[in-house]
Amino acid sequence: MLIRVPLSWLREYVDVNVPVDDLAQRLHMSGTEVKGIERKAWDKIWVGRVADLAKHPNADKLQLATVDYGEGRRTQVVTGATNLRPGAIIAYGEIGAEYIDGHTGERAVMKPKDMRGIKSEGMVMSEKELGIGEDHDGILLLDEKLPVGAPLSEALGETVLLLELQPNRPDCLGILGIAREVAALLETQLHEPERANLGTAAPRGLDVRVEDAGACRRFAAARLDGVRIGPSPEWMQRRLTAAGMRPISNVVDITNYVMLELGQPLHAYDLRDIRGGTLVARQARTGERIRTLDSVDRTLPDGTLVIADEERALGIAGIMGGESSEIRDDTTTVALECASFEPRGIGRTATRLDLRGSSGSAAARRFAWELSPDLVPIALARAVALLRDHAGAKPAGTVDRYPRPRPRIEVRMPYGLARKVLGIDIPREEAIHILERLGFSGCALEGDTLVAHPPVERTDIAIPHDVIEEIARIAGYDRLPARVPDGPLPLVEAHPVQEFRERLRDALIGMGLQETVSYSLIDPQWLGRLSADGTPVAPEPLRIQNPTTSSQSVARPTLRPSVLDTARRNLRHRGGVALFEIAPVYLPRRGDLPDERWTAAVVLAGNAQPESWLGPARDNDLWDMKSVITGALAKLRVGDAGAARPSAPGLHPGRSERCGSAERSTLTWGQLDPRVAELWELPAATFVAELDVAALLARVSPPQVAPPPRYPAAMRDLALVLDKATPYAAIEDAIRAAGKALVESVSLVDLYRGPQVGAGKKSFAVRLVLRSADGTLTDDDVDRALKRIEGRLLHQLGATLRT
Amino acid sequence: MAGPQELKELADRAVAEIAACADDAALETARVRYLGRRDGALTQAAKQIATLPAKDKPAYGAALNEAKARIEAAHETRTAALHGASLEQGLRDREDLTLPGRPVRVGRLHPVTATIREVSRVFATMGFETVEGPEIETDYYNFEALNIPPGHPAREKWDTLWVSNPLGDDPKMPLLGRTHTSPMQVRVMEQRKPPIRVVVPGRCYRYEATDAIHESILHQYEGLAIDEKLTMADLKGVLYSFARQVFGSKSNVRFRPDYFPFTEPSAEIAFSCVICAGKDPQCHTCGGDGWIEAAGCGMVHPDVLRRVGYDPDRYQGFAFGGGIERLAMVISGTPDIRLFAQNDLRFLESF
Repeated sequence: MLIRVPLSWLREYVDVNVPVDDLAQRLHMSGTEVKGIERKAWDKIWVGRVADLAKHPNADKLQLATVDYGEGRRTQVVTGATNLRPGAIIAYGEIGAEYIDGHTGERAVMKPKDMRGIKSEGMVMSEKELGIGEDHDGILLLDEKLPVGAPLSEALGETVLLLELQPNRPDCLGILGIAREVAALLETQLHEPERANLGTAAPRGLDVRVEDAGACRRFAAARLDGVRIGPSPEWMQRRLTAAGMRPISNVVDITNYVMLELGQPLHAYDLRDIRGGTLVARQARTGERIRTLDSVDRTLPDGTLVIADEERALGIAGIMGGESSEIRDDTTTVALECASFEPRGIGRTATRLDLRGSSGSAAARRFAWELSPDLVPIALARAVALLRDHAGAKPAGTVDRYPRPRPRIEVRMPYGLARKVLGIDIPREEAIHILERLGFSGCALEGDTLVAHPPVERTDIAIPHDVIEEIARIAGYDRLPARVPDGPLPLVEAHPVQEFRERLRDALIGMGLQETVSYSLIDPQWLGRLSADGTPVAPEPLRIQNPTTSSQSVARPTLRPSVLDTARRNLRHRGGVALFEIAPVYLPRRGDLPDERWTAAVVLAGNAQPESWLGPARDNDLWDMKSVITGALAKLRVGDAGAARPSAPGLHPGRSERCGSAERSTLTWGQLDPRVAELWELPAATFVAELDVAALLARVSPPQVAPPPRYPAAMRDLALVLDKATPYAAIEDAIRAAGKALVESVSLVDLYRGPQVGAGKKSFAVRLVLRSADGTLTDDDVDRALKRIEGRLLHQLGATLRT
Repeated sequence: MAGPQELKELADRAVAEIAACADDAALETARVRYLGRRDGALTQAAKQIATLPAKDKPAYGAALNEAKARIEAAHETRTAALHGASLEQGLRDREDLTLPGRPVRVGRLHPVTATIREVSRVFATMGFETVEGPEIETDYYNFEALNIPPGHPAREKWDTLWVSNPLGDDPKMPLLGRTHTSPMQVRVMEQRKPPIRVVVPGRCYRYEATDAIHESILHQYEGLAIDEKLTMADLKGVLYSFARQVFGSKSNVRFRPDYFPFTEPSAEIAFSCVICAGKDPQCHTCGGDGWIEAAGCGMVHPDVLRRVGYDPDRYQGFAFGGGIERLAMVISGTPDIRLFAQNDLRFLESF
């Protein structure tokens, strides 16, 4: 959580004897992350007074403000703000002043503007424009006592530390907590603020009752009589503003001030509105409704803790008060609640009511962290003192219910553990000194055992490791040496799928394909665009319940849409693509985590080769894709991808196939269905392949290692005419079956489909390389083998030989 | 008619003619004329031997052999000379080497893959084995086993994408896109016994608005080492060694206290800025302070060890985790994290 710590406020509790940059560095390096240092040094911005207000002659929503900014300087600005009145003290920025644009949030420089025919010389500024708050609805109204004509930096200047707190340190939610850190770091004095003595007298006409001790750990309240509602002191308003809160009235401001000082939220009620005079912490009734301080009517979800009187809910505990009991201008008797709640319940309820996060409830953000219940009497006493001093309040008793007090934490650890964990010795005296500076009490060494009690505000210290971290972070992590670990190394396991996957990646880039890595969450509409009729080509995907965008709302069950999208976007600016992605696809399983199946997807489209002086351009075709596949499989020693079935869903019915078993395809490849290509704005000739990494791995054959042949080979060409329907593979199979071990290789050197071979026929020219491992083949040997081969081709496939 | 003298003259003629041949074709014509097996002059001359009286035969034969040897030698000499001249000629050729070659397609790894490999390689030098785990995880492994029960305020650090199974959700096992690679700490420890040294690269998910430095789908690397004596100094040493290998021997690491529920003590790791070495107050990579916050780390929390059945009094160790894209940005000077997932080939080809 980001908190704003005005330096002047911090200095009230601790002596800061170093420059602010050093302070920030020390805080940062000891674990309190400093996001920034805000130094308000406004240039060309002045304290001004609205001398006159007039309607803009040409625009109903604009006004003309005459601004007086000292020494007789006067100017006219056009403004759309509605909260101005003559005499208001405002911040006036003249031409050339830097400001934050209220709409874009960007820095800008003031220029003269013509607004509906009237020239505007500068600007009356909002909080947001000044960079001190988020409010941009109205002009920031300044304290009326500020001197008109003074530079704003002098009147309002404040250095503010922006600190990002981690949820283990709720004690630092209060500026006093930060002061405690600073005191420990700089070894300077901490000054606790003054608190009232609450006494032991119970208040008259006010009581508290805890009905759910699990959700409300501690509940205290004070009665304050004779309260006079009015503005809070100017210094308090200024601090609240600098810390990012808006001043309202003395009572409300004091509760906020104490919250910012100590981290503990409080809530003030008008006692008249507490029917029966008892505040009750109880679970909301089913369907119970309340109108909260932000004027929203809310139905409380089950499990909501409310603060109620004997009749009705007054507020949502720890999150937001209700309108029915809020402090009014005529309030004179205040019931001040200070309580401690179970943090997860607060977090859950705030989330359900959408009051979590930086725009939600400031109290809920704090209560969702593990605030110490020991803060309750401290905060109450502090608030009572401030109400006494600044709201005329007369303390009239307090009540404090704390059914199960938190035990005092004692950490005992063998001091050697610090060395065992950190790897260095920190002298014991230094460690104890550090802990004492941090407010630990009773620090001592009993023999070799270090005993320490964390300060009551700290809820993050429970075990020896917590104490070791405290010692190390104040001593400084820089003192840790960097050492190469020794000790036994573990046995390393084999990871065949990962290793094979990386070899596949290398094989594909080796063939000139570019690897891509795209979002694994995709637009569900993409899945409907993978076949011409919208039938799915992949299982129904896992869905994201709370997607950041619908275009990333399902876990992809196939990589095909991702590579098609990548191809499409790239083809806008280039002639061709040859790319692939290797990633898991997510296949749902009942009652289990999904099957995350590593898959490779390849896409080729457009130019295979651009036109050059050495040759014409050539487009990718089916055989480019087949080469990629056979090349990759050869490199990985996958003999074949399994039984092939023609036609894969979403691909061209006559130019695609699926290999593998019926349940799990090893390889799917072919030309994209041209109708699908159109949906993706891709060329009709787009080719895709999908390879299942683990299934391919299962088909890897061991290397067939053999020395190079010793005897010469014989080469023969055959020209065959066959039925058009006969696949080439059948010829090669027949040749190998008939030629047996003599056939070293078969290659197709020509294919002709045309009138010269007759209708329904085609002609293949194949080149055979024959070789024996046992000796040089004689012409007779070769002729005999060819006879067998030709016979087989004739009888089995009806091939005729052309000569 | 013929005698040794004629043969000598024939050879003289042939040698002169061969020596005068200007090119391979003329040489071949001359060879056929004199040495041709069927009709060459020497073949003709050899036929005459039968017609000679026996006493003349030896001298004729010797002359014939000498003529043949001379002509063949001349042919050989001329062949070599012509070949040499032709090589010489070829060497006089001057080609324009600035002409482009045939268009070639160069395949490259995506920078995310390349960075993951680099991380695995570097940690392997320190005995870390690369393992992988599920991206779609359970609440238990992603949070609860790491000391982050439901409602824990630290959950806000890891805004979560929740996942619904079309085959039916199990309310006892809510699914999510893992928000970090840390669940693998638990899975690895459940499956193995110490000593453990693993590094886990992989994709993670965040419910987060994207900008130039934030992605909702990103990659991380996680390291885990468990043994009996591993200390925070060893953690620093491992990361220091990593920085030196990735960024060069001059680079350094800085530890700063941080908070993670599953490590204690915890630290944030910053690497010294490779771009400006801390010298440029306007540096876009480090923001001017010379340090690049790159990862989180710490000593594995005793409760996490206890939950997987390890005795925290005996075993201890460290864990660290950082962003792959973040690392790739620093290594390559990539200004916007979103470029990695856009896959514009013009960007990818620049690696």
